[in-house]
Amino acid sequence: MANNVSAVYIHVLDDVISKVRDEFINYGVGEGVLNELQALWEVKMRQCGAISGNIERSALPKNAAPITPVHDLNVPYEGPAEEYETPTAEMLFPPTPLQTPIQTPLPGTNDPSMYNIPTGPSDYAPSPISDIRNSIDLKAGRPGSYMQPPSPWMSQRPLGVDVNVAYDEGREEPDRGSSHQHATQDFFMNSSGKRKRDDYASHINSGGYIPQQDGSGDVTIELSLTQLFHLQGVANEDYNTPGDHVELRAATPSVGTPKPSKNDAGEDDEPPLNEDDDDELDDLDQEEEETNTQHLVLALFDKVSRTKSRWKCTLKDGIMHLNNRDILFNKATGEFEF
Amino acid sequence: MRLGFRPTSFSLKYRDQRSSIGMCLTETLDEMVSTGTLSPELAYQVLVQFDKSMTEALETQVKSKVSVKGHLHTYRFCDNVWTFILQDAVFKSEDRLEQVKRVKIVACDSKLLTQ
Repeated sequence: MANNVSAVYIHVLDDVISKVRDEFINYGVGEGVLNELQALWEVKMRQCGAISGNIERSALPKNAAPITPVHDLNVPYEGPAEEYETPTAEMLFPPTPLQTPIQTPLPGTNDPSMYNIPTGPSDYAPSPISDIRNSIDLKAGRPGSYMQPPSPWMSQRPLGVDVNVAYDEGREEPDRGSSHQHATQDFFMNSSGKRKRDDYASHINSGGYIPQQDGSGDVTIELSLTQLFHLQGVANEDYNTPGDHVELRAATPSVGTPKPSKNDAGEDDEPPLNEDDDDELDDLDQEEEETNTQHLVLALFDKVSRTKSRWKCTLKDGIMHLNNRDILFNKATGEFEF
Repeated sequence: MRLGFRPTSFSLKYRDQRSSIGMCLTETLDEMVSTGTLSPELAYQVLVQFDKSMTEALETQVKSKVSVKGHLHTYRFCDNVWTFILQDAVFKSEDRLEQVKRVKIVACDSKLLTQ
């Protein structure tokens, strides 16, 4: 039922807000911001139809602390609207840059004083959002971010190479001042600058972040995927005939893994991957479906098995977005014919 | 039952693509961060909490059962995530029937989350 989905979403929203309240307080951010988050989120959900009509929050059995009038959905958003006008001006022209300086650990320059340069980030940052993602990625120490997959490359910071130069030059001056060897200053700066750039470059390669276009990276990824697959082939039932699974190739991994490049040159020694076989088909399908959003199911799987061309799976705890509707399920069984 | 929470690709899922609630939250957070209202770290904390809350809600609040049938066009298993693309699929739940020409199913391993 649509109402049930709305109720669940409202519950989740309330739950999240109440649970992050403490975090907000720890960060020294006021309730106003929290309320703004809640209101914005709710408005968006309403706009995209995830929530319908009037939901009685008080009826929901849960532990969200009842607080501000923002909860009362029967009140049209008149009051908050006024409040937003003022903060909007402040938000558009913030008096100071982002509270926490973008902490970008530039490789080769581990000097913590670098972080205190407030104007640095704004010089080269293409957008604050990508910087934020990068800082989150680097701080959190994991490749995923809360946006779409391109983050592994963004965390690479190709622009950072140039910045290194700028920063190095900036840093060299105090060194120059304190250095006794005036004659070798320029030499010192250049070589160290270069060295740092090289170090950075080699750092990239050793880190393996950049999806390599030369084919060697491709091989690595393919191999690792195959190994992964073989491991899984043992673990899953009915699922140990690698020969059948032509589709499981390196070309198009799922969320969170770097995309191996489709290179033209290096395929001579390997069987054709048929990478592009499905592209046309996918594009065709996309065109047809473009009018409404792509139908999608996000869930957990308990078991996936196959007998000849008949696939069976059991899923649980899923959200389905079909025909512009959100449907939630606790359990699902699937039977597919390949 | 308490899940051991791991921010893996699973946590990307609910915020991903067209999960309305996840997308709305991500958009909201993006806006607030880009205007400086919210710090990135705090935004991240909100998302982490969202994953937990969403998972818990799906487990405890939703009791419906659904069956899916269709033609399997593509299957993929990578990083412990199954991706199926079905064509002409029928989704049957107790009170509703949905038919779609094409649907993508992304499923993470439930065992990865349970202790």
